[in-house]
Amino acid sequence: MALKALDIYKLLPRKNCKECGDPTCLTFAMKLAGGKTDVDLCPYLDDAAKAVLGATTRPPIRLVKLGIGERSFAVGEEFVLYRHEKTFYHPPGILFKISDTQTTEDIQAITTRVRDESFTRVGVDLRFNGIAIENTSGTPDTFARAVETVEKIADLPLVLMARDPAALSAALMHCGTYRPLIHAATPENYKEFCALAKNHSCPLVIKANNIDTLAQLAKDCTANGMQDLILDLLPESLQAFIVRSTTIRQLAITRAAPDLGYPVFLDASVMEMPDAAIALGIVKYASVIISYPLSPATARAALTLRQNIYTDPQKPIQMNPGLYRVGDPKKDAPVLMTVNFSLTFFTLQGYLESTRVPCFMLIVDTEGLSVLTAVAAGKLSEMLVKDSIKKFAVEDEVSHRKLIIPGYASPLSGRIEEATGWKVLVGPRDAAEISDFLNEEWKQ
Amino acid sequence: MRTVTFIPGYRKIDAEQGSTILDAAQRAGLNINVVCGGQGKCGKCIVYVRSGKTIFDQQKYKRFFTDDELAQGACLACQTTIESDLQVFIPDSTSIQEQKILIDGQETAMEFHPSVRKYYIELQPPTISDPSPDLSRLLWGIQKAGGPSAEKIYAPLEMLRKIPAILRHSEWKATGTVALVPGGYRLVDVQENDTAKRLYGAAVDLGSTTIVVYIWDLVTGKIAGVASNYNRQISCGEDILARVNFARKNGLSKLQALATESINLAITTASNTAGIDREDIYEIVVAGNTVMTHMLLGIDPAYMISEPYVPVVRRALSVSTGRIGITCNPNGGLFVFPAVSDFIGGDIIADILACGMSEKEEISLLIDIGTNFEVVLGNSEWMFSCAGAAGPALEGGEVLFGMRANPGAIEKISIEPGTLNPLYTTINGIKPQGICGSGLIDLLAELLCTCVIDRTGRINTGIANPRIRTNSHFPEYVIEWANRTGIGKDIVITENDIKNLIMSKASVHAACVTLMNQAGINRKEISTIYFAGAFGNYINKKNATIIGLIPEISIDKIVNIGNGAVTGANIALINRRMRKTLDEIACRIAYIELNAESSFMDEYTSGTFLPHTELTLFPMVQKLLDTCRITKE
Amino acid sequence: MVSDVNFGWSSTIVKVILGATKTNGGTRRLSYQIGGGTTLPFLEGTPDFSGPLIAFEICDDPQNWSSIVRNYCQDIVNDCGEWAHAADSVYGADMIRLYLTSTRQRNFSDIASVGKTVESVLSKTSLPLIIEGSNESTIDSEVFLKCGEAGEGERLLLGTAEAGRYRSIAAAAMAYNHSVIAQSPIDVNLAKQLNILLKEIGVARDHIVIDPYTGSLGYGFEYSYSAMERIRFAALKGDADLAMPVICSAIDSLTVKEVRDAEPAIQDDIAVQWEFTTGLAAAAAGAEIICVRHPRTIPLLRKAFTNLKSEKTDMGGQ
Repeated sequence: MALKALDIYKLLPRKNCKECGDPTCLTFAMKLAGGKTDVDLCPYLDDAAKAVLGATTRPPIRLVKLGIGERSFAVGEEFVLYRHEKTFYHPPGILFKISDTQTTEDIQAITTRVRDESFTRVGVDLRFNGIAIENTSGTPDTFARAVETVEKIADLPLVLMARDPAALSAALMHCGTYRPLIHAATPENYKEFCALAKNHSCPLVIKANNIDTLAQLAKDCTANGMQDLILDLLPESLQAFIVRSTTIRQLAITRAAPDLGYPVFLDASVMEMPDAAIALGIVKYASVIISYPLSPATARAALTLRQNIYTDPQKPIQMNPGLYRVGDPKKDAPVLMTVNFSLTFFTLQGYLESTRVPCFMLIVDTEGLSVLTAVAAGKLSEMLVKDSIKKFAVEDEVSHRKLIIPGYASPLSGRIEEATGWKVLVGPRDAAEISDFLNEEWKQ
Repeated sequence: MRTVTFIPGYRKIDAEQGSTILDAAQRAGLNINVVCGGQGKCGKCIVYVRSGKTIFDQQKYKRFFTDDELAQGACLACQTTIESDLQVFIPDSTSIQEQKILIDGQETAMEFHPSVRKYYIELQPPTISDPSPDLSRLLWGIQKAGGPSAEKIYAPLEMLRKIPAILRHSEWKATGTVALVPGGYRLVDVQENDTAKRLYGAAVDLGSTTIVVYIWDLVTGKIAGVASNYNRQISCGEDILARVNFARKNGLSKLQALATESINLAITTASNTAGIDREDIYEIVVAGNTVMTHMLLGIDPAYMISEPYVPVVRRALSVSTGRIGITCNPNGGLFVFPAVSDFIGGDIIADILACGMSEKEEISLLIDIGTNFEVVLGNSEWMFSCAGAAGPALEGGEVLFGMRANPGAIEKISIEPGTLNPLYTTINGIKPQGICGSGLIDLLAELLCTCVIDRTGRINTGIANPRIRTNSHFPEYVIEWANRTGIGKDIVITENDIKNLIMSKASVHAACVTLMNQAGINRKEISTIYFAGAFGNYINKKNATIIGLIPEISIDKIVNIGNGAVTGANIALINRRMRKTLDEIACRIAYIELNAESSFMDEYTSGTFLPHTELTLFPMVQKLLDTCRITKE
Repeated sequence: MVSDVNFGWSSTIVKVILGATKTNGGTRRLSYQIGGGTTLPFLEGTPDFSGPLIAFEICDDPQNWSSIVRNYCQDIVNDCGEWAHAADSVYGADMIRLYLTSTRQRNFSDIASVGKTVESVLSKTSLPLIIEGSNESTIDSEVFLKCGEAGEGERLLLGTAEAGRYRSIAAAAMAYNHSVIAQSPIDVNLAKQLNILLKEIGVARDHIVIDPYTGSLGYGFEYSYSAMERIRFAALKGDADLAMPVICSAIDSLTVKEVRDAEPAIQDDIAVQWEFTTGLAAAAAGAEIICVRHPRTIPLLRKAFTNLKSEKTDMGGQ
C-alpha cells in the first residue's frame, strides 16, 4: 500500500534544507505521497530509504507501448483494484481481428474502418485502436501478405497472432519496426518468441491458462531479456477471465507477485459471448482486447463503457457553463437552470428533447458538482445564478423573467428570487418528470 | 443636506439626500449590525423611521419583517435612502452591543524574559581627561548596570538627538530602555532620572470581531490591565472577505486606521484602569489572522482572497509603533506574529504557543472555530494544518433565529424527553431573543437524543407534540412561544437551520479527518483536543462530540484554551526565547489545501450525519444514543 | 504458490429473500435468495447463488414509458397484468418490477385502484414482484400500505425509500413483511446513512436492497459503477450497514441521446446494447438484481450470466 506522508517523512533527513525545492521535509513528503515529486530530488537520502521509497512509488504494473506514431497507445501502469481508489490510467486498446484467409477486400475494408471510424462523445473522439491479424492459413507468405495489406492502408498498432515463428518472421519483415505486439509465447516456444521480439524490440504476449505457469513463463522471458510482456490468461469462460484477471491485478498491485506485474490480454473473439467479454474486459482489467469487427450498436456501447470506466472518478466531467438551446426556443420559451455536471446536463437535455418543448438550459458553473452536492457545498448560490444570468445575457433572450430550478435546489429559491428579481419555479427533483412539469406548470 | 436624528441618544448628523441611513449612522459613530456588509442580505440592520421621508422597498425585503414591524416604519438601514430630515430609532437588537468577549487566556506559567529592559544609571559627567562621547558613556553605563555590552546596542538618530540635553538636565542620572530586536539591541528611549519601574508591554489579540489587550508590567512580570472592544472595522463589513472587498473599492487606509483605532482604544482603556501612562508602554505584540495583520500594517491583502491566495509576507515582523499610529511610546516596537499561509495566521501560531502542542511528544489536535475554522494536528516533530469555511451557522448566522452571543441569546439548552419541553438559559438571563452557537450545538444534540430529528437532521413530523409543526412545507421545532420571548415571535429551529448546522459541523470534522489521514493516525492516537477561541470556550464538550463536530476522544481530554491568540501573544511578550521559536514553528507546519484533497468531499458527505456515517468512530455517542432510544420506548 | 490471493475480506453480504412460495405463505412459484457473497462478484462458485436476477420493468400507466418499448411490446403495455404475464412466459424475466405510474398523476386519489393493480399483476404472474409506489409524500403512506396489504405474504420488494421519505414505506414493509429498496444518489456514504435510518426505525437488515442509483451508460454510469464497487468492498471488509445486495436500474438507458438519435434500423439494437452493457458491468461491480425495460435485453443478460456462473473455475493453481 502507498505510504502516508508521515511515514515517508520519517525516512527523510528532516533537516529542512530546501534543496529539493520544497520549504520543509514534511511538504516534500506530502508531495511524494501524492506522487507529485521525485525521490531523487532529495540529495541526503541513504540507499536503504531510497529503496523503500522507490519500491512503493514505482508502478506495480509495467507500462507497455504498442505501435508507433499517432495511433500508438500504452497500457499498464495501473495502481488500484477499483477505480475510485485512485483512477484507472490507461484505457484498454480494442483491436479488430482479421484472418489472413480473408479476402484482400475484406481486410482492406476492416482496416479502413478502424482507421476512419470515430464516435464523438462529450467532446472526445472515441476510436478502435488497431488490427490483430491471425495466421489462420498456417502459411508464412499469406500471413505476410495480409500484414502488408493492412500496412498499406494505415499506420495502426498491430497484433501478430501466429504459432509459427517463420510466419512471424515473414510478417515482421513488413511491420517489425512499428512495435507490433507478438502473440503468443508458451512454455514450449518462449525462447524463439523472445528472440524474435527482442530482435524487433516488440512487446510480447505470453499465454497460459494457469496463473502459476504464467508467472514462471514471465520469469523465464525476463531472464531471456524480454521486459515488455502482456499476459493472455486463455479463459475458458467469462467467469474464468474475471477470476484470473482479478487475481493477477490484486497480486500485482500488492506487489505479492512481481512476475505478474504486466498488462492483461483478452481475445474476445474466441469467447462464447464476445460482446459480454469486451464489456467485462473493460471493467475487469484487460488492457488489450481483440474482437471481430463489432456491430454499430456494440461498438458504441463498448467505446462508451471504456470512456466511462477510464475517466478520473475524482474529477467529474464538466460542461462549459452557458445558455444552451433545446430545439428552437423563442422569447417566451422556458429557462431551466442547472449545474455543469455532465451527467446532470445530459440527463436533463435528454428529457427536454423528448418533451419537444423548445427551451433554454442555463448551465451554471458548480465545478462539475451535482445539484445536491453543489447545494450542500455552497457551490450553487444565488449569486452564481445571478452572475450567470448576466454573463450569458439571458435577459436578452427571453421576454419573461421566470426561472425553473432543480428540485434539489429548492432551499435556494427565495434567495435566487431576491438576488435576480426573477420569479423562481421549483422544478422536479427527477429529470424524468420534467415533461409533466413543463406541461402542467409552465403552460399555466 | 438633510439632518438625521438617531434615537435613543438624539445624535444628529447631516446627510446627503439619497444616501443611506446606514451610512449616516456609521458616520455618527453608531455601531450598526451589518452582517452582510450592507447588501440587504442579512436583515440585521433593522431600524424604525419615526418621522420624515425615505425610500425603501418593503415588498422586496418583506421576509425580514412582520406586518406589524413594517407598519411601525421598520426598514433596513442599508437599503433605505434619506429623502428628508429624519428621526430614526435604532432598536437594541440592531446596535452592536458588548458581546461576551473572551478575554480569559490560560493561566500563564511562563518564564519571564521580556525583550525590553530599562536600566537606571548614574554616570560620571565628562571631564577633559575623560572626554568620551555621551553615547559611549550612556551605553557603558547600561552595560555596567547589567545590560547588553555597549557595542551591541544600536542607537538610532532620534535618540542621539535627545541624549545630550537629557543627560545634562538630569545631572547624568538617567534611565535607558533597550530592546532586543532582530540582529541585536536597540536603544529605544532615554529618560531623566529613575523610571526603571515604569516599563510596560501590551499583548494584543487582533480578531476580526474583537480586540483583546493585556498590559503587562515588564518589571514585575505581572498583568497590569486588561481591556477589550469591538474591532471597529465591522462597520466596513462583518466578515473578512467583505472588508477586503471594501478595501479594494475604497482603499486600505480606512481599514488600517480602524484597526489602529481599535487597538488604541483597548490600550487606552486598559492603561486608564491600571493607572499607567501609555508612554511607558514600549512594546506591543500582535497576534491576528493574516488578513488582519496585513491590514494593520497597511499591506494590501487583496491577493490573498482569490487564487492562488498569496500573502505578501509570512514571517514575523518588527516595526516601530510610531509608524502605524499605535498610541504608546513612539519609539516602542511592534512585533507581529508570523503566519503559515493566508488562512493559518499569527492567531493560530499564538494558539499553538498557548497550548504548547509544538513542545509535546504526544499528538494534539487544535481547533479554532468561527465563521472560518482552522485545524492543526501534530506534535513537537511535525504539524499539519488546514482551514476552511464552516459557514456562519455555528455562530448563529444562516439560522432563522440564530444570533451572536449577545444578551438574550439562548446559550445552553436541554430538552426533556417525553414532553419535549426545553430548559434553557440566556445570556444575562433576560427573555430569549434567539440562539447563539453554543445553544445551537446543545439543541442539535438534544433534538437527536430525544429522537425529534433523525440522524440526517430531518424532523420526525409524526411526533404528536405542539412544538413540532410544519410551517409552509418546512418542519420546525418551537423552542419558545412568542409571549415568552423578548421579540414577540415564536423562536423556532427549522429543518433548514439544522441542515446548515450539520453542513458546518461536517466541514470541521472532515477537516480534522483529512489531517489525520494525511498523518496516518486515528482518533485514538490523539492525546488532547484543544479548542481555541470564544466559540470553543462556551460550548458543551459532550454535545460537540455527540453531534460529531470533533473526533470522539475522552471528554476530559478536550481542553478549552480560551483566547489562545491573546495567551500566545502574552507568552511572546514576556518570553523572548519563545518568541524566537515562532518563525520556526510557523515553518514546521505544513498547510493542506482542503479543496485540493480529493477525499475531502467524501469525508464531508460522511460527516453529514449525526454524529457521523461511520458510527464506529463514535462509540461513546453510539452507546449514549442507544440508551436514549431505550428510555424513550 | 503465486496464485494464492488474499483480498482481506472478512464478511458476507446479507441474504435477502424475494418472493414467497406456498410453503412460505405466498403464492409465487419461485422464491429467490440474493446476497450471501463472500468476495467480489463471480469470483466464487457460491452453491446457492443463481447469478444476478433479471427484473423486467412494467408500469400501469405507460404514457411516459419509452416508445421503443411500447413499439416492441405493442398493446400489451396497456394492461399491466398481461404485460407481466408476457414478461414471465415470453420474455423470460426472473422478476417483474411494477411501477405504479398512475399514482404519479396530479392529485391522484384513487388508492383502491392501487390494490387492484397489484392484485391483478400477482394473479397474472407467479414470479416474485418488485412494486414501485408513489412519488409524493402526501399519499405515500396510503399507497404503500395498500401495496403491502395487497401483496401480504408474497415477500415483495417495495420501492423506493429515500433519506427524505422512508418512514411510510418502511412502515408498510414491516407491517406486511416485505423488503425495501433504499435509494440514495450515487454515494456510498449516503447509501450507508439511509440503511442506518431504516435500521433505526426497525427494518431488518435482511429486508433491505440498496439502490445506489444507476446513471446510464455514458451519462454517469461510471459514478454508479464506483458506488456499487465501493459498497461491495465496504461490505466485504465488514461494514454491516452496507452489506446488503444491490439493485441496478438504469432507467434512463432508453432515452439517452445515442438511443434517441439512432438510425431507425438499429435503434432497437442500440437500446438493447445500452441496457445489456450497463447491466453486465453493474453485475460485475456487485449488483444482484438487474432491471431492464427492453424484452430483448433479457436473453442476452441471461446467456452472459450463465457463462459467468459456470462450474467453479480453478484460480490457476493446482
